[in-house]
Amino acid sequence: MMKHYFNDLVAGIEASLAAAPDNKSPRKLYALEIAKLGSRLYSGENRVAWCGIAAPFDILSAMNVTSCFVEFIGAMLASTGLSTEFLEEAEHAGFASDICGYHRAILGATRKGLMPEPDFLIGTTCPCSGGIAVMENMAAHFNKDLFVLNIPQQQSAAGIRYLADQIRQMVTFVSDHTGQPLDEEKLRAAVIRTNQARKLIAETYELAKQTPSPTDGKMLANFGIVMALLLGSDAAVEVAQAYLDEFKNRVKNGISGSKEEKLRLMWIQNRIQFKNPLVDMLEKEFGAVVVIDELNDITWDEIDPDDPYTGIARRAISIPFNGQATHRIDHLKKLAKDYKIDGAINPCNWGCRQGTGSKGLITEGLKEMGVPVLNLEVDCIDHRSFADGQIKTRMEAFIEMLNDRPSPWG
Amino acid sequence: MEPKENIGFACAYTPLPLIDAAGYAPFRILPVGDFPDQAGQLLHDNLCPHIKRILDRAMSGDLPDLAGAVFINSCDAMRRMADAWIDIHKIDTRKNGRTILIDLPATADSLSISFFRDELVRAADALADWRGKKIEPEAIAASIDKYNEISGLLVQIAQKFRQGRLDGGTAALQKIYNQAATSPFDDTLVRLKQLQDAPDSDAPKNKGVPVFLFGNVMPDPEAFEMIESCGAAIMNDDFCTGSRMFAPIADDDAGDVFSRMAEALLTRQPCARTFDPARPGKIAEDVLNNAKAAQALGVIGHTVKFCDPYLERLPFIREALKNAGMPLLLLEGDCSLRSIGQQKTRIEAFIEMLR
Ligand code: SF4
Ligand code: SF4
Repeated sequence: MMKHYFNDLVAGIEASLAAAPDNKSPRKLYALEIAKLGSRLYSGENRVAWCGIAAPFDILSAMNVTSCFVEFIGAMLASTGLSTEFLEEAEHAGFASDICGYHRAILGATRKGLMPEPDFLIGTTCPCSGGIAVMENMAAHFNKDLFVLNIPQQQSAAGIRYLADQIRQMVTFVSDHTGQPLDEEKLRAAVIRTNQARKLIAETYELAKQTPSPTDGKMLANFGIVMALLLGSDAAVEVAQAYLDEFKNRVKNGISGSKEEKLRLMWIQNRIQFKNPLVDMLEKEFGAVVVIDELNDITWDEIDPDDPYTGIARRAISIPFNGQATHRIDHLKKLAKDYKIDGAINPCNWGCRQGTGSKGLITEGLKEMGVPVLNLEVDCIDHRSFADGQIKTRMEAFIEMLNDRPSPWG
Repeated sequence: MEPKENIGFACAYTPLPLIDAAGYAPFRILPVGDFPDQAGQLLHDNLCPHIKRILDRAMSGDLPDLAGAVFINSCDAMRRMADAWIDIHKIDTRKNGRTILIDLPATADSLSISFFRDELVRAADALADWRGKKIEPEAIAASIDKYNEISGLLVQIAQKFRQGRLDGGTAALQKIYNQAATSPFDDTLVRLKQLQDAPDSDAPKNKGVPVFLFGNVMPDPEAFEMIESCGAAIMNDDFCTGSRMFAPIADDDAGDVFSRMAEALLTRQPCARTFDPARPGKIAEDVLNNAKAAQALGVIGHTVKFCDPYLERLPFIREALKNAGMPLLLLEGDCSLRSIGQQKTRIEAFIEMLR
């Protein structure tokens, strides 16, 4: 099922790109690369590693392993409207509906044979306790070896050293399973490509800060988190370059991402992954544009190709979801200021303890700088409980409130 | 002697000997009592009642004076609890800044033990700083000895209770665990020694159906009493508010005190949040083996709602026990006796089925 889905998607996007070679939509290029990754995962021809979100995908790709964080499949299932069957399967197997929807969908998909058998698994303790538990479940289900990367909470010297050492051990684990030692030159080249993509993405984000923004509420949806999967590859550089070119062009020609940008919004944590009318409604009906998603930021420094493990360890630790809430709130405040945000939307994904557990402090923190937060109650994967009308009403009231107050940015 | 100041803690992985060696009394903030829900507002309703109750107690002024708090990053909920704890104490000039969150790896490999050791050193530095006095390694070694003595005594006393040689059954035993978790080491030692020396009781033995209990937190003694009143004899249990709290720290004169503690804490009987990647799902084996060792005829699992480490591993346990023909009853609660009480009929039916 997924194999055909991704193959058809690749063929469809390639055909559409070929039909209009001058119109290289960056979002299409991005979708193409993601579809290709999906296709590789399901082809049965590649070495596959199911991973946690903070795994070093550039190292894995330098070691010829097709790797992906499992939550990506959870999101795909939701976006294609297929998640219900798998959510139900998980619940039937005893996984409570209070578990994060991403994980429930994957646990169900695993049991239903939808997840290709991996060669091994790389779990990460960041961002959440649920994620590492899913890895343990999948390792038991497939009877495959699991390596765990413990992501420390702080950017301390001890923490960075600890993670860098674990990544070195992970490399040995991977080569033991692939039978191929790491080619240092390949890793070096991958790190250089990671740095190139990093720079291009950072410039793209810089342009997205413009008023009006060259982005709309959809172009960069899920971008930051999913691009991590492509890091180290030429595809990451190409996609990033396409975005940058498009944004430069838009800024130069005074083209804004949405027709009318009256209010600028920040989306906290992840998008609602199943089809829903909210972002469109905000934009079309109210001129309220999501110009920044929390994870669309570069929080890490360029990686030294001569000492890649340290830089890669720093990168994993820097994820906003890692560490104490103050770390995350400071980051959100910075984004709110840089993007001149009028209001923020926090979907409070049901089942996400690490995320929703900061709801009150985030609301308080952003309020201090005059940015109100609309906290919703949704399951970003499970559409069965989605109260469309109720959420729309709350959004309308929120927008009305934002319209009635002066911008916090003068 | 001046009474010792308390240091709050909330997890069985806390390095208690460090707190004692710093001159403080470790005080476990147990999720007990009935308070208005304020924590759910600050955090989110979907966080486990264990940490919400801890915060509610703090926000309702139900805790004794604490000179600081040592929390463990054992799961998402604990990390968020620590954030909120810091936030609600930020206006308290004395306590402001007196909270430390120790990172706890999910695996017990040598790199992790060594990192955790560094975290314990960081905790010791914080405690020394709060107390204004350096903690000498000899003092830590002495506290480890006291801790080990408590640990050994608790095992013996638990056995006496389970054999019916002490009055009060497992409810009384849980009271002792709770006292040990909330008192200075020295007071605990005195109390435990008295119990050890107490003459055997002539109260009638519990003739109930032997069961094994496991889960995350269940500190209320009355919950044990209630389960026994349904016809069960609790042969052993594995809760983070019970026997897991005082697992011994190996006697190793050669190793430094921090390494000893790090290794002992990380390799103790794990709860669901710590695991061996080489043996995924081993928690199920552990539950089964413990139940068999206790000669139980059935297992009762009690977990609090929204606890990810358990929620995602209970199906393992269910499957393993089913395959082994060991009956299992899973209960979900909110740390209150009320929530367990509501399941009384299910417990009675389960015990009846085991007879
Ligand atoms: S939404 Fe939260 S719980 Fe779910 S995968 Fe993401 S971080 Fe983990
Ligand atoms: S009960 Fe579970 S979720 Fe709550 S603090 Fe304990 S391990 Fe974490």
